[in-house]
Amino acid sequence: MSKWVWLLAAGVLWGPDAFGQDARQIVEESQRRHRSQSQQYEGVLEVYDAKGGKNEKRWQYARTGSYGQSKSVLRFVAPPLVKGVALLVHNHPDRASDQWMWTPELNRDRRIALQDRSTRFFGTDFSFEDLEERDVEQSDYRLLGEQVVGGQACYQVEAVPRKTRVSQYARTVIWVRKDILLPVQFEMYVKTELVKRMVHRRVEQVQGVWSTLELEMQDLKKKTRTVLKTEKLKYNVTLPEERFTLQALRRGE
Amino acid sequence: MILLRLISWQYVRKHLLRSLLTIAGIVLGVAVFVGMHTANQSVLTAFTNTVDRIAGATQLQITAGEAGFAEEILERVQAAPEVRVAVPVIEAVATPETRAKGNLLILAVDMTGDRSLREYALEDGDDSFIEDPLVFLAQPDSIMITREFAAENGLRANDALTLRSMDGPKRFVVRGIMKSSGLTSAFGGNLAIMDVYAAQKVFGRGRRFDRIDLAVQEGLRPEEVGKRLEQMLGAGYQVESPSSRGKQFESLSSVYGMLANITSLFALFIGMFIIYNSFAIAVTQRRSEIGILRALGATRGQIQVLFLAESAVGGLIGAGLGAGLGVLIARGMAGSLGNLLGEIYGVAQKAEEVSSDPRLLAGAVALGLVTSLVAAWIPARNAARVDPVQALQKGKFQLLTAGENRTRRVLAFVFLALVALSLVYGEGRLIFYGGYFLSIFAGVLLVPTLGLWLARGLRPLLKAIRPVEGALAADSLIQSPRRTSGAVAALALSVSLIVALGGMTQAAYASIEEWLRIALNPDMYLSPSQNLTDRSFRFPAAFAEEVVKLPGVRRTQLVRTVRVPVDGEPVMVVSLEVASIRKEVRLPVVSGDGDRMYGEAAAGRGVIVSDNFALQHRRKAGEMLRLNTPEGPLELPILGTVVDYSDQKGSILLDRTVYQKYWKDDSVNVVRMYLEEGVTVAQMRDRVAAQVGDRYKYFVFTNEDLRSYILKITDQWFGLTYIQIAVAVLVSILGIVNTLTVSITDRRRELGVLQAVGGLRMQIRGTIWLEAVTIGAIGLVLGWVFGAVALYYALETSARDLSGMRLEYTYPFRMALVLIPVILGSSFLSALGPAETAVRGSLVEALEYE
Repeated sequence: MSKWVWLLAAGVLWGPDAFGQDARQIVEESQRRHRSQSQQYEGVLEVYDAKGGKNEKRWQYARTGSYGQSKSVLRFVAPPLVKGVALLVHNHPDRASDQWMWTPELNRDRRIALQDRSTRFFGTDFSFEDLEERDVEQSDYRLLGEQVVGGQACYQVEAVPRKTRVSQYARTVIWVRKDILLPVQFEMYVKTELVKRMVHRRVEQVQGVWSTLELEMQDLKKKTRTVLKTEKLKYNVTLPEERFTLQALRRGE
Repeated sequence: MILLRLISWQYVRKHLLRSLLTIAGIVLGVAVFVGMHTANQSVLTAFTNTVDRIAGATQLQITAGEAGFAEEILERVQAAPEVRVAVPVIEAVATPETRAKGNLLILAVDMTGDRSLREYALEDGDDSFIEDPLVFLAQPDSIMITREFAAENGLRANDALTLRSMDGPKRFVVRGIMKSSGLTSAFGGNLAIMDVYAAQKVFGRGRRFDRIDLAVQEGLRPEEVGKRLEQMLGAGYQVESPSSRGKQFESLSSVYGMLANITSLFALFIGMFIIYNSFAIAVTQRRSEIGILRALGATRGQIQVLFLAESAVGGLIGAGLGAGLGVLIARGMAGSLGNLLGEIYGVAQKAEEVSSDPRLLAGAVALGLVTSLVAAWIPARNAARVDPVQALQKGKFQLLTAGENRTRRVLAFVFLALVALSLVYGEGRLIFYGGYFLSIFAGVLLVPTLGLWLARGLRPLLKAIRPVEGALAADSLIQSPRRTSGAVAALALSVSLIVALGGMTQAAYASIEEWLRIALNPDMYLSPSQNLTDRSFRFPAAFAEEVVKLPGVRRTQLVRTVRVPVDGEPVMVVSLEVASIRKEVRLPVVSGDGDRMYGEAAAGRGVIVSDNFALQHRRKAGEMLRLNTPEGPLELPILGTVVDYSDQKGSILLDRTVYQKYWKDDSVNVVRMYLEEGVTVAQMRDRVAAQVGDRYKYFVFTNEDLRSYILKITDQWFGLTYIQIAVAVLVSILGIVNTLTVSITDRRRELGVLQAVGGLRMQIRGTIWLEAVTIGAIGLVLGWVFGAVALYYALETSARDLSGMRLEYTYPFRMALVLIPVILGSSFLSALGPAETAVRGSLVEALEYE
């Protein structure tokens, strides 16, 4: 199941309660509603350690294509020591994504192996797997009930990855706002233990699309958290396909 | 037990000094055994610990010998369904410019995935303390060090740490400090982590990794996955558990282990004679005691058991003390041995702690016990056979019967005949070593006879020197050959060991110096490392290309050495430009046609192997040699064998083009440079500096530097043999002291009578001194003769099972002469104490003795 990128990239906007008790339908409809041809934004990443210390980075994000087949580039722009470091992600509907990292100081790229995706994404509380988009077909869903989260009535949906899918998580519980069908909270389990919680703090409409503009990922074991703020979010911008290649990554485009 | 307490203990108390001297042989033998093996074990353990601690959760490691392999292999391995996680690794040793001395082991990994295998417990318990994991990856100067290393060098996060790299001294930034854990204790805590892709640049690896560490999917057996991966990758790749690296190092350093075994067994063997001698004397002295016991109803078995029990207790005490002393010896030598093995084999380890293996200690104690029991067996049996009636009669207790002597001689000649046969049909190891041991036994059996002859021969000389004392000393030896034969045998064996070791060392030096003269004849060398056996650093091909074109260079030869497994053992492959080498170097040919072999090898149609490789791996010219390369198996004929001492385990010389083609590696370990007439090394050093000095780090070695370097390592290696020589001398001196102590006790009455009839104290002293020096002289002469045989066997052992070096037999006459003052002087010194005891004892007691 995709996580924050899945949601951010889609600019989630789900309609009112029209899907009864079918969890899978809820997810499918969510994806359908938030499909966009492309997207770009500037992100601010704030990593808080267990003692409250803060580390901030900024990046630019661009995506082309839609669910399961999208390609995206994430390039850090600040601080200076990480400027130019980039991550290229090619998502696939039927298998895990391909990911490459570019380090300009070394003047070379490296492939992020599938097996490495459960590791933390550069010291944040996200893992590389959290950056992937997953097709709805890659999980089984179950409606657990309804709950109020942040003052909003939500569906509580459980997503369990299918055997064909490699995931660090045994299951993920998602709270989806009933009014706009926007997920506002995720809880991820490794085996039976709750390890992470992601909360969507700021939700606004951008170009008519309900979008999360600030979210927080909490690592419940390490007691750390990462806040992602999205700025200058735009949908359906013209982005050339060549920009999402390894060659472009190396050129710093 | 009661007999032990009532009889043996009383005897020991009465002859405490002699008892202590008796067990001293065992103490020394066991101490040498434990010391040398514990030191070796500590080095091995240090290496294995480093491997284990670095391995973390790694179940399998993929290597292609030391050559490394292209990055693409990683993707193939990661894509294998049986593999849960696979990460690239580069391992290198670098020299930091820090206040604390010692190298730093660099473990370069891909931090994006490596945590699946290794736990990097960081200070502050949080990733954020690697100031920033993204910065760590983004900046090639990032390095993570251990808390121990940081404390030792006063380093903190974000401090600079300078390491020597391919680009010269390179400044790194400490971007993480690891908490103490299993990983951080690897290499004695001198461990640093850096990004594998940055390491490629720093250590000149190009786009290659040294190895891949991996863990298999849950539920799968690593051995089976290993086999499947080997099939997938091809024979040039080795997929093994991390622990097998320890075995490889063990295999590399097996020569040292064998040397330690020989030394300690020899020390024990000599010690055995001391014990035999003491017990033989004790049995003779205690004949009346034995007679009384037998008369009171003690059985023969009980008498034998009594003496064996005494020996067992002595052996146990000696072995226990020896084990303790051995651990102390190991503490003293583990560090330097680690450095030596590191220099010889280029393997990273740091032996700081001595690990005493309980099994080794138990084995050593058992060895001491068995040696003691074996030594006491014959005297104990003789004691059991004592006739009670004869035993209670006084006198005539030192006689060695003519029949006994004849039996020994016959047995010795039978042994010598068998030795001769073994030399004719001595191809097999068992027959050869059987012959070796039989020759020692034959010599030992002949000691009483030969000793007697020599003593008789020396009598006129001794009498001429000091008429009274000389005659008394000679007569004492002639009348009591049994009393002295043990000491003489021990001394002769020690001298023979010294002659053999000295001869072997002399021959080895001569051969190595000759090889240095022939093989290492360039004017200068360029190396990426100060330690020429360290293969962590390499020059890229571009470096060599630039150097080759420098004006004033007549010829360059690029050399890349790498260990690859052959018959399961790591063997040095030396890839060089054979056509060029052929014009400058002609290694002595052992087998094959010199011109043809160089021509064919230059064309890549075969390999030339060193003689020591051929001997150790039982290969001959004309046979096919299969090398497993990353590009698949490479089968080439052995074109010939040459004398080459590049590596103790042997070397395979092949053309650089073949190496590049099959190993896909164009890096260089050493550039050999021949200069044009009139161009000096100093000038060329400047030209190299002007051309590449700003971009590459290199070390210039002159021809003389390199020779000194190799001779320094050779000296260190043969330094071990000096330990053997020292042990041999010490044990033999103990033997003389023991013999004289026994002799004086034995002759108290005789010496008392001498004093009573007016003999001066100085005359008594002189008698004992002369007796000691005569024992020394007899032992020395016999030792010279035995040494001549032992040298032959030592050279054969070296060629067959140690280094494969075929050394020329040259008797070390100079060393033999040096031994004259050493042995005679030691004999004299060892007589001082016993002589004083003899003259200071009570005359009345002496006359009442017995």
